[in-house]
Amino acid sequence: MSLRKLTRNFIPTVVAAFITLVFMLPLLWLVISAFRPEEDIFRYLSPFESQAIIPSRVTLDNFVALFATGFGRQIFNSIFVALAAVAIGLFLNSLAAFALSAIEFRGRGVVFSAVVLSFLIPFESIAIPLSDGVRALGLGDTYFALIAPGVANGFAIFLLRQFFLEVPKDLAEAARMDGASLWRIYWSIYLPLSKAPMIGAGLMIFLFQWSAYLWPLLVTNSPSMKLAPIALAQFLGERNFDAGQMFAGGLVLAIIPILVIVPLQRYFTRSVAMTGVK
Amino acid sequence: MPVSNEAVSGRTKHSSAPRSPSKVTQNLLAAILFLAPAILLMFLFRLVPIATVAWDSFRSSAGQWVGLENFVFLLGSPSFRDSLSATLIFNLIVNPIQIALAFLLALAIVDGARRPGLWQSLNLMPVAVPLAVSAIVWGVAMRPDSGILNSLLAAVGLPNQAWLTSPEQALWSIVLIASWVGVGYWALFLVAGLHQVDHSLLEAAKIDGAGYLRTLFSIRIPLIRGTLGFVLVADTVVNLLLFAPVQMLTRGGPEGSTSFVMFDIYRNAFVFRDLPLAAAETFLLVLIVTAIVALQFRFMKPEGAKK
Repeated sequence: MSLRKLTRNFIPTVVAAFITLVFMLPLLWLVISAFRPEEDIFRYLSPFESQAIIPSRVTLDNFVALFATGFGRQIFNSIFVALAAVAIGLFLNSLAAFALSAIEFRGRGVVFSAVVLSFLIPFESIAIPLSDGVRALGLGDTYFALIAPGVANGFAIFLLRQFFLEVPKDLAEAARMDGASLWRIYWSIYLPLSKAPMIGAGLMIFLFQWSAYLWPLLVTNSPSMKLAPIALAQFLGERNFDAGQMFAGGLVLAIIPILVIVPLQRYFTRSVAMTGVK
Repeated sequence: MPVSNEAVSGRTKHSSAPRSPSKVTQNLLAAILFLAPAILLMFLFRLVPIATVAWDSFRSSAGQWVGLENFVFLLGSPSFRDSLSATLIFNLIVNPIQIALAFLLALAIVDGARRPGLWQSLNLMPVAVPLAVSAIVWGVAMRPDSGILNSLLAAVGLPNQAWLTSPEQALWSIVLIASWVGVGYWALFLVAGLHQVDHSLLEAAKIDGAGYLRTLFSIRIPLIRGTLGFVLVADTVVNLLLFAPVQMLTRGGPEGSTSFVMFDIYRNAFVFRDLPLAAAETFLLVLIVTAIVALQFRFMKPEGAKK
């Protein structure tokens, strides 16, 4: 291997490997700690021994104890809310994107800017005052309150519209000649052509909802309606919280989105490229 | 998407303009129907809350009009000024660090690291981890007495650090917690941007004798400045609104060193129950965020949609 070739491949690989290692280590530590007795997490730290990162005893006790606290229900809530947000969000955002790309009407550009801009303003920025009103309406502790604010997504509308604009207009024209309604054109022509951007937009909504913290914290109170991250975070406030259970819960919360996003990553990266690259 | 399609849609845009007046109204009606759910949500969860916050921020808790009193009080209060400066300092540190690391990672992935797909997949994993989990993992790792970070430092002969418990280090610790999930995410955007740079330009520069760094700074970075701008702006919005790690780990402390604006609003609303003050603070924040988001939108504007 020539020196040139070496530097060309070797240095980027080392840099990529180093950064990756730094970012993967905490994740590995999370996995290891979740599967060991709590006392083992801290036992080998002063002084540092290799057993600190190589588990000697493996157990599921942390998961068993955690799920006994009602965490299963909270994980269910998180999954349900995320899936509902994706399903409703994809429908609604694609409807809007269709109107803003396939239908000609006056002021379309202005409406497009207004809709996308307002959904780009992160919901969190007004979440705190809004939560008072939502609870005053008796909507605290409801799935409606958890799901509704996260469904419309500026990036999703933007992304789907970008894609819809590139669907050849002749298709829709021909269908209209044959008497197809706009709904029919949306449902039978545009949607079937848009699998990739729909998956990308769905992932965006899913990740947004899965990592939501502030809003679910504000609008839920009863343990049976709490989302998993909020329930888990509340352990931190307890005086002698069980770190083993924290890691077990953290692992469950991390592994679910990883299992979703890694197999679908090419759709995700493609949609990222479409929103972020001019 | 291939570029040629853009030309098609650009051309048909004019030819498919509505012809008859009845078709114009028909289209308008259909557009309203298709847009109705999104517009309804836009009112419910953006416009109405923002208008309410604006209304409340000019009133006392009894609902009396007080003009700018809440804002005057806010801007004069040391606690707000502390939290504003903490937020700004945090953003001045965290955004450049995240973007520099993300850019380095993106360059390594694009510039012929062996198995780029592997590195990209691995780095995608922390991206999917919720910030609350990052706070838990790092919060336990950073314990001054029994955390693995100090244990590792001791193993290589370095002194123990206070991490989240010291006013000097807490903000930096939050930078670390936020960056663990942030860097991989922004690297995705930059990888996409770097891939779009025309390869023949880089080859031409090489033939003219330009080295790696010269090509990087004179050709590649200028060519992806749109992507860099988008990432910078989007990252800033996220970090301006950072909340979970502060609420979970530091509660704004020690000595107010991490009392970022979002947490200050939370405290004003739910601890001190000063709703007009929380409203005024939210209103200022929304104004700032809207200005930044408008900038972000400009970076997103596609060529075909330019007016």
